[in-house]
Amino acid sequence: MAAVVEQVSTTELRPAVAGRNPWALAWRRLRRNRIALAALILLVLILVLCLGAPLYAHNIAHDGNVLSPNLNGTTVVHGKVVPVMQEGGGLLKLGETPIGPTWDFSHYFLGADNIGRDVAALLLYGGRASLQIGICSAVLCCIVATIVALIAGFFGGIVDAILSRLMDVIWAFPVYLLAISLATELLTHSNGLQVGFLHVSATSLWTPTVIIAFIYVPYVYRPVRGQVLSVGTKEFVEAAIAQGASNFRLIFSEILPNVVSTVIVLLPLMIATTILTESALSYLSVGVQPPNVSWGTIISDGQDLLYTRPWVSLAPGIMIVLTVLALNVLGDGVRDALDPRAKLRVR
Amino acid sequence: MRQTTSNKPYLARRRTMVGSLAGLAVLAMAAAGCGSSSSPSTKSSSSTTAAHAGGVFTILANSSFGVADPAQNYTLEEWQLLIDTHDGLVGFAKVGGLPGTKIVPDLATSIPLPTNGGKTYVFHVRRGIKFSNGQVLKPSDFVTTFERQFTVPGGNPGFYSGIVGASKCSTKGCDLSKGVVPNDTNYTLTINLTAPDPELMDQLALPFAFAVPANTSLHNTGNKVPPGTGPYMWKSYNPNTEAVLVRNPYFHVWNKLAQPAGYPNEIIEKYGLPVSDEVTEVENGEADEVWDGDQIPSDDLTTLNSPKYASQVHVNTLTADWYMALNTQRPPFNNLEARQAINYAANRSAYVKIAGGPSLAVPACQILPPNFPSYKAYCPFTTGPQTVWSGPNLAKAKALVKASGTLGDKVVVNGTNDQVGTELAEQMVSDLDSIGYKASTQLLSASVQYPFIQNSSNWSKWNVAWSAWYQDYPAPSDFLNVLLGCSHIVKNSDASPNIAAFCNTKIQAQINTAESEEATNPSAASALWTTIDHEDTLQAPWVDLYNPKQIDFTASNVHGYEWSPQWYILIDQLYLSK
Amino acid sequence: MLTFIVRRTLWTVVVMFVITAVVFFIFFKTPGVDPARALAGRSPSPQTLAEVRAQLGLNRPLYIQYGLMMKRIFITRNLVSYSDQGQLIIPEIFAAAPATLSLVFGAAVIWIVMAIVMGVAAAKLRGRIYDPILMILALIGVSAPVFWLGQVCNFITQGGLHNSVFSWVPPLGYTSFTTSPLHWFTGLIFPWITLSILYIGFYARVLRANLLEIQNEDYIRTARAKGLSERRVLLRHTLRTSMITFVSLFGLDFGALVGGGAILTEVVFGIHGVGFLTWQALQNLDLPTIMAVVIYGAFFIVLMNALVDIGYAWLDPRVRPA
Repeated sequence: MAAVVEQVSTTELRPAVAGRNPWALAWRRLRRNRIALAALILLVLILVLCLGAPLYAHNIAHDGNVLSPNLNGTTVVHGKVVPVMQEGGGLLKLGETPIGPTWDFSHYFLGADNIGRDVAALLLYGGRASLQIGICSAVLCCIVATIVALIAGFFGGIVDAILSRLMDVIWAFPVYLLAISLATELLTHSNGLQVGFLHVSATSLWTPTVIIAFIYVPYVYRPVRGQVLSVGTKEFVEAAIAQGASNFRLIFSEILPNVVSTVIVLLPLMIATTILTESALSYLSVGVQPPNVSWGTIISDGQDLLYTRPWVSLAPGIMIVLTVLALNVLGDGVRDALDPRAKLRVR
Repeated sequence: MRQTTSNKPYLARRRTMVGSLAGLAVLAMAAAGCGSSSSPSTKSSSSTTAAHAGGVFTILANSSFGVADPAQNYTLEEWQLLIDTHDGLVGFAKVGGLPGTKIVPDLATSIPLPTNGGKTYVFHVRRGIKFSNGQVLKPSDFVTTFERQFTVPGGNPGFYSGIVGASKCSTKGCDLSKGVVPNDTNYTLTINLTAPDPELMDQLALPFAFAVPANTSLHNTGNKVPPGTGPYMWKSYNPNTEAVLVRNPYFHVWNKLAQPAGYPNEIIEKYGLPVSDEVTEVENGEADEVWDGDQIPSDDLTTLNSPKYASQVHVNTLTADWYMALNTQRPPFNNLEARQAINYAANRSAYVKIAGGPSLAVPACQILPPNFPSYKAYCPFTTGPQTVWSGPNLAKAKALVKASGTLGDKVVVNGTNDQVGTELAEQMVSDLDSIGYKASTQLLSASVQYPFIQNSSNWSKWNVAWSAWYQDYPAPSDFLNVLLGCSHIVKNSDASPNIAAFCNTKIQAQINTAESEEATNPSAASALWTTIDHEDTLQAPWVDLYNPKQIDFTASNVHGYEWSPQWYILIDQLYLSK
Repeated sequence: MLTFIVRRTLWTVVVMFVITAVVFFIFFKTPGVDPARALAGRSPSPQTLAEVRAQLGLNRPLYIQYGLMMKRIFITRNLVSYSDQGQLIIPEIFAAAPATLSLVFGAAVIWIVMAIVMGVAAAKLRGRIYDPILMILALIGVSAPVFWLGQVCNFITQGGLHNSVFSWVPPLGYTSFTTSPLHWFTGLIFPWITLSILYIGFYARVLRANLLEIQNEDYIRTARAKGLSERRVLLRHTLRTSMITFVSLFGLDFGALVGGGAILTEVVFGIHGVGFLTWQALQNLDLPTIMAVVIYGAFFIVLMNALVDIGYAWLDPRVRPA
């Protein structure tokens, strides 16, 4: 992407036209993209809903924490008091089935899960965890990848070679082994992990965040490095070098600003990817640990109930699809907005 | 023994009854267990055998049983197949119900009484029996069989160690020439022990002691099973796909009670499917049995309640405990009042619901399970009568917590990270929180969790840990001594079955007395075991949760179901209708 | 060019070495892991444990154990599993590979065809309503977690409708082609669809974006000016150039999938391929199998990476990387 967006307009014949900031232009293009705007609104809506989880919990008539088991509890359906867990029928009476969706906002709207918790409440709390992990790990990943790519692309040579091969190693690394190992390691240290002044508790959400950020660094690194290399050959960089700019200034004042747009385009896509990865890790029990819940853990909980209470698995899956879809659409919109030839793309 | 959850191999430690008292108890247990299953089949005549013979019987198991060498394998999963492919000197009668707990002669012509002060047994070995590779069975084959118990690492936990020469045996080599003396001319086998062992006959009936040819390697044979004398033989075994058993062409029936002819022509056990898919396949008739060690998820339990499947679902009581061990080595549960407090607060009906409801689990307070020798109902940790659990007593619990001075302590609840394990741990956290503790979970994969909680070097990392124990044999010592005896705390070892690290010298003295009285004064011993059980319960080293039941689900064309208290489902005695 | 290839190959070997060393290290640092104990049976005496440990060489320094394991994998090829001593791992992986390859190749065929169709259609229909609709559809495919899709698939085909609409779907699991071609095919259809949905979405969008970008290149304008038909411009010139990115991305993803990346799909559908093997090995903490599948997987990924980079460098000397 070119660093400078030229104000090309054949109608601008008057002199002394106020120049516009390329970011403002991009924002305006984005605003005009109605689909992307709709996606943004959807995302904000989901975010607000999830942040409002405690309010929803307050609304449900339930003693105690909505995240703790409620196997012997009761609830009200159509004015009648019913148990949350219902014993099996027939002669054998095998199994205990949780209550299905009541479509009543105060009483188990989407039904209960295997241990009697309100699925709708779980969905909102799970969203908080999933979104937090998704956003934080994507941001962390992009920051680290950008720094590494700047160094590799700028210095080139052996530094570039080593860093690129290091990225290869990370990309080929079995993520599930790393996740299992790290999770087990942290869980069995009852006080969590102490790294310098940082303290990570055993069931903290930072564990999956760091793991996911780590494994996607190579993915962001590649395009950013390509961009750094491409910017590095531009004339203004040569000019700055001729002016005697220090390496530090070159990297952070000349190259970085022109690379940032690549990263910004990647950010929503990375959040989408990290949310999906987190759900996979949680589904396999090596992501988010109890007492926290995430959309992935709810899907995993709902697996045994798939045929009798499908909503337990369907609802979080649908939430993931909606969120990731919105992020992808927004990502497209952002890319279109930042592209100098956006005229041809935005519709 | 501890049975692991559905995606791990089922491990079995089965020893048999000791004394007639135990036999009576097993009778009661088996009768209760058979209550809801179909009646034990009558032994069929050879004409019915012919009529029922045929077909391929397919079992679906979530995971395989690991290495197949019978000297090493310690899982019920393989044992259910080994009893069809191999024979021992003696064996459990291969029928369901009470008669299935009786030991009958198999490769021996009769069960000898010991001589020489109980230290010598002389078996007469049957002639004319061939292995599946055509080799003729000779008494000298048993020497190899027993030596392998020591040269192949792992496997049995100390059985047969009373044989003369066994104490010098190791994986490097074993010489039992003085302990297992064959005579291939007279076809006798003499077993010499260093001391009398009333449990020897039971140990000889386990697949460890089933005959293999004398030229079998003394090293682990891996996944190749040595030839056996049973009605079936192993055609192939791949732990990732399936095991295939076909008929042994050299087999003939010599004792219908010990080893009858099998009905199916072929038995296949397939591995790797999730349990709910196994249930679906059996429902659709695409397979014949869900392996009974697999836990059926609640979704499928709902389907199985339909009257359509009434004749295909069999539920049997197990003498087993699912419990949460309390770490008595550190606060807060080194304090008796704290331990009793959580026992009063534990909402056992919630745990039962996690297990699948009252049809699949019975709330438990005490150590010994129901229908077990010396069991007398006792539940101090409830409101109301002290024999059966009727509800938690939160008021008493909270008072005890206050009195103990441990209010507000942090408690770590360790469990397995599968579905049920997670739910049990979360319920325990909820119960602990309700009386003022600050609890959190620590969920590990099953293969890691079991050694982890046994190792004393991890004592500082957990306070409550889930575990389960299934009877090895119907004797109270199997629960009260193995799980709560002082000598079963092995420091810095991954094999220390007294997980709670509970050691009470007064009770231990009583245990020692009871064990020595077993042979001389069984009724006094039995009464003493009851006292020990109640005392241990009151000391609250555990929060006992429930006693589970087991489901066998077979396809609609499967008939002849029998439940043996020893081997559970008898596979080759099932027949398929066309 | 040749030096570049040689250098890349050498780096590939180094990368594989580093990955396996790190895996080895992580394994032994994971608490609760003691292979000797797992192999020694359920209640081993300390003496037995010591003997087993010596037998396995577990009492020797880590780097020697690592060397021994590498030797067993590459030279003597008799690596044995920890959780099941009868099982030779290398043959096990080769036996599992056909299932993974069947799954991945089939899905790849579907996703390439569908992605091209959708991408070209969306580019051609740009400006009309079909473009955003197709792209949203593609995006939904990209947005669903693959294991959840698989669950939904199973729910539909193995649940209530199994006896009616979907009775032709065999039970879950992989049937090899030699056993029954029909079952091989019907059993793989839904796994193929599930796995490819994710990639169709992604590749359709990539292709469309590339096509649109190239539309405005000068040489395309020249082609149009020359009077070539729109169709010919699209297929002969535009498509060919945009396939460069497509093919290079495809190489990376395909390599990752063949190397065991389809783990979730295999687990959900019960297909016993390399990914399934990996998952079981992780559950049982079976180091030799983990090492072997990591090497197998890393090999494919790094190989495809290198091939793609070589291809790029050959096509565009400007982009020649280090």
